[in-house]
Amino acid sequence: MSEVMLEVRDLTTKYITRYNEDIYAVDHVSLKVEEGKTLGIAGESGCGKSTLALSLMGYYFAPLHYTSGEIIINGRNITGMDPDVVRKSILGTEIAYIPQAAMNALNPTRKIIDFIEDVYQAHDEYKSKKEIYELACECCSILGLPETVLQKYPVELSGGMKQRTVIAVSVILFPKILIADEPSSALDVTSQKMVIKMLKDLMKDGFIKSMIFITHELPLLYNVTDDILVMYAGQIVEKATAKEAVFDPLHPYSKGLMGSIIVPEKGLREVKLTAIPGVPPNLKNPPPGCRFVPRCRYARAECAASVNLRNLEGGRSYRCILSERELRDAYRMEAEQNARK
Amino acid sequence: MKGYAKYFRKKIVWFIVTFIAAFLLNFFLPRLMPGDPVAAIVARMAQGQSNATGVQAIYKQYTELFGTNKPIHEQFFLYVKNVFHGDFGFSFSQYPRTVANVLKTSVWWTLGLQFPAIIVGFFIGNILGVLAAYLRGGYDKALMPVSIFVSGLPAFGMATILLVIFGVTFKLLPTSGGYGFDLIPTFSWTFIWSVIVHFQLPFWSIVLIAIGGWAIGMRSMSIYELNADYVKYSRFMGIKDTKIIQYVFRNAMLPQITGLALAIGTMVGGALVAEIIFSYPGLGTTLLSAIRGQDYPMISAATLIITIMVLVANFAIEILYGFIDPRIKAAQSD
Amino acid sequence: MKNTLQQVFHSGKFVVGFTIFTFILLMVIIFPLLVNTPPLGIISQGSTQGSFLPPGLYVNVYDSIATTPYTLNLDDAAAKRIASRLSPADRTAIKEWLVKAGIPENEIDTTDTDTLLDLWASNYDPGKEMSGMTFAKTRYYQRLDASLQGLLSTQGLTIAAAGTDTLQAAGSVAQSDYVNVTEVPNVRLLALGTDNFGRDVLPELVSATGTSLLIGLVAGVIATTIGLVLGLAAGYIGGVVDDIITFVNNLFIVIPSIVVLILISYSIGQEKRGPVTIAVVIGLFGWVWTAKAVRAQVISLRNRDHVNMSKLSGHPIAMIIFTDILPYIASYVIMAFILQISTAILSEASLSILGLGPKTSSTATLGLMMNWAMVYMAPSLGKWWAYMPVIVVIALVSFSLNLMNTGLDQVYNPALRE
Repeated sequence: MSEVMLEVRDLTTKYITRYNEDIYAVDHVSLKVEEGKTLGIAGESGCGKSTLALSLMGYYFAPLHYTSGEIIINGRNITGMDPDVVRKSILGTEIAYIPQAAMNALNPTRKIIDFIEDVYQAHDEYKSKKEIYELACECCSILGLPETVLQKYPVELSGGMKQRTVIAVSVILFPKILIADEPSSALDVTSQKMVIKMLKDLMKDGFIKSMIFITHELPLLYNVTDDILVMYAGQIVEKATAKEAVFDPLHPYSKGLMGSIIVPEKGLREVKLTAIPGVPPNLKNPPPGCRFVPRCRYARAECAASVNLRNLEGGRSYRCILSERELRDAYRMEAEQNARK
Repeated sequence: MKGYAKYFRKKIVWFIVTFIAAFLLNFFLPRLMPGDPVAAIVARMAQGQSNATGVQAIYKQYTELFGTNKPIHEQFFLYVKNVFHGDFGFSFSQYPRTVANVLKTSVWWTLGLQFPAIIVGFFIGNILGVLAAYLRGGYDKALMPVSIFVSGLPAFGMATILLVIFGVTFKLLPTSGGYGFDLIPTFSWTFIWSVIVHFQLPFWSIVLIAIGGWAIGMRSMSIYELNADYVKYSRFMGIKDTKIIQYVFRNAMLPQITGLALAIGTMVGGALVAEIIFSYPGLGTTLLSAIRGQDYPMISAATLIITIMVLVANFAIEILYGFIDPRIKAAQSD
Repeated sequence: MKNTLQQVFHSGKFVVGFTIFTFILLMVIIFPLLVNTPPLGIISQGSTQGSFLPPGLYVNVYDSIATTPYTLNLDDAAAKRIASRLSPADRTAIKEWLVKAGIPENEIDTTDTDTLLDLWASNYDPGKEMSGMTFAKTRYYQRLDASLQGLLSTQGLTIAAAGTDTLQAAGSVAQSDYVNVTEVPNVRLLALGTDNFGRDVLPELVSATGTSLLIGLVAGVIATTIGLVLGLAAGYIGGVVDDIITFVNNLFIVIPSIVVLILISYSIGQEKRGPVTIAVVIGLFGWVWTAKAVRAQVISLRNRDHVNMSKLSGHPIAMIIFTDILPYIASYVIMAFILQISTAILSEASLSILGLGPKTSSTATLGLMMNWAMVYMAPSLGKWWAYMPVIVVIALVSFSLNLMNTGLDQVYNPALRE
């Protein structure tokens, strides 16, 4: 039984706006990531995936505030930990974050190696410059980056190179969990491929024990992740293995999401493209029941009242009042209708 | 070093160009008006002068030195040649002293006052600005209106206020001169102490105004930088806030330094008037008495010296900037 | 547009700045209508006695004697009279003398005027030898004694008119006679005293503020217009035009503007320097920052989609500039204009302090008032009313304009909002 690297129970975090309104961007989210596994988080822009990633680090900056729930990293419950302790012993060492558009994540006036030294120093690790340089070189060679990168300023590197450098810097302290937030979105296709390969190698070679991969690019999910969480309006609406989520989605939103990809994968070629009409709800006053109601084809009156996560065998779950059977029947009927057109 | 060659070349060329332009302006602007500027002055002076021969001597010397009876372009080259020899002619108002003689001392007083004042004001202002951006809260809310007020105050306004509070009401510090009236410049401790004491009020007038101006700008820059991606990322890698402020300070300072290079002209202008309020023996007071005394050569020379000082400072800062900003070096190498 | 206006007037800073500035502006306009004094009229002699009269209510003594008095018996009248002639330092000196004369210290109460003066009157002997007292101090006590004669008396004064050979009693004034100031025909409120020439400072200040504001406005309009045109030309047309304009621009940014202003002002000569001339000169050389900012904005706008659309649609350049570009740079232009006004007023002040401002006899400006105060050594003499109000007005004008600008900046630049 592999160890649980990250366990999140019922986490809720909110943004407090300038006008003192609370926006619950992460609403009672629970998840588990096991050693050796990659968890994918999918959803459209604004569904809360990045906020969830930030919330997992245990380090909150205004306007983001922690409300309730627990975060357990590698057996340590970091909820409510002193921020200084979190900074020194959790950030970077247990869990690391690669931000979106990581190209801008590096301080333009600091050499890469100097920044790495700062990182070591911040974690109270007293290594000599020489040691740090050697460690950095090792890391670079393992990750396929040329050593010369270390002596350069970010402005001297290309976009793809910067992205990979950021990944290298993020894992320099060998964190157990790596959160990659849209690591390849801002890149050209070749660089994308290199970045994904780098991340997969990191997992394969054991530098990181588990990974959370956030993206809105669904085709990537199947390739990279083992399990997938689908988020909508701050809540988890479906949790399944990658295969199940892509080929057999249950929640109407997941179904719509997967239906909107063009993927040259086996078995998906004949599927027609569908778009999900409408926009996500305003999170200032979220409806009590299902938040997908306005855009859901199968919505019923009871949906607006309340809806909980339904757990199925095998660890799968989805948030809908309709049963598995009802949903699958509905999808099959639609598919047949579309085929007849 | 090789990487900087292109940058330096550009800056040196610019320096030379502005240098020449300064000479041209200094020479031609006063001559825009019809008539020989000197003749009119001398004529006016001669009406009230009892020492007619003295006036004649001055005028004669000036005409010879600067060739006012020659065509204008010849005059210009004569002018440039004279300046490079340090020869500005006799001072009209302080005859028989030469202009160069008078300016020699004034320049040092001004340099000694304004150079440290502008630099100190710059640094303190920027540090306060970055702190305001980082700490926010009460400190920020207190600093902003004060800074806006102080930065709007002209230098002579602050000078007068300080003069009245510390010089007249509380009689803590002297209100005029560079040193005590009864002292002769020597290297004695009394003299040096007197200089330091007389230095305070003019110095702090300039510094306080400078702080106000720079603090506001730095605060805006720092707020902008604090929202930058690299700040968030550095925090997530566990870097301490004190280190982050250093990052932000460094990055926000860079455009500020460029701003300093551009603002030096204005700051010097304001500081000169502040000098006048305190009758500080620098270029400001010299200019004032020259204007009152219709001392054209003195005015011309003083303005030229001021312009050149500013140009040199501007050049020095631009060069320094090239060394500090790694992006300049990087942009050169590709 | 309406939305922007709403936001602008919501900004606290802008509103405060705007209010202060409008207040000053209104004062400048309304004051001369209400108060009829010519601002540059000399009302006191320009001699050492007549210059720098302190602020206060000036009552014509000749008229007040002729005005029918009223009798008021106020308790503290005598005490106030004494206090104005017997300072705390004097009381301590009296006590010292008495102690030296042998009176026990604890019997002397400096706050009890009556007893103190009694003791003094009965003990003071100008001829008495006091050990350790300097000659100057002895004279001081003699003078003090002379001035105290009759301090406690309750008799009034007699007014004598000059007759043929002798003085004739023409009236008398009792110590309890008061006149109602409103019945005295000649009373003048000098709220801010007089300056070195003997002019009433308050009307002068208002007029000076008006002139300075006018100079600021004229210079501001000229500078902003030039800056706008040059910036547009450089940014939109680009190429050689841009290179030339940028070159000149950078040149004038680096060369200190005050030097240029000094040289030009000086060569124009005092005769020809009126306020408008000065304003034009300041305006002609103040456009540098505006041009720089406008050019930067125009360049960034030049390649935006809506501009390209207009170009593709074949709109003439003038129309493109007016409808597509100007609205976007309007905010910068307004902010630059406000800044120009502020800078122009300060430039004029600096020039005037140097003695290169407008002609002194026909107008007053804020800078000129400062200049006169400096020349006549007002700060060292403690005549604060000659320069402090000027500085306050300059500071307020600058401050209000700056506040307006900062407020506008926050509206246009959301990142700076608190």
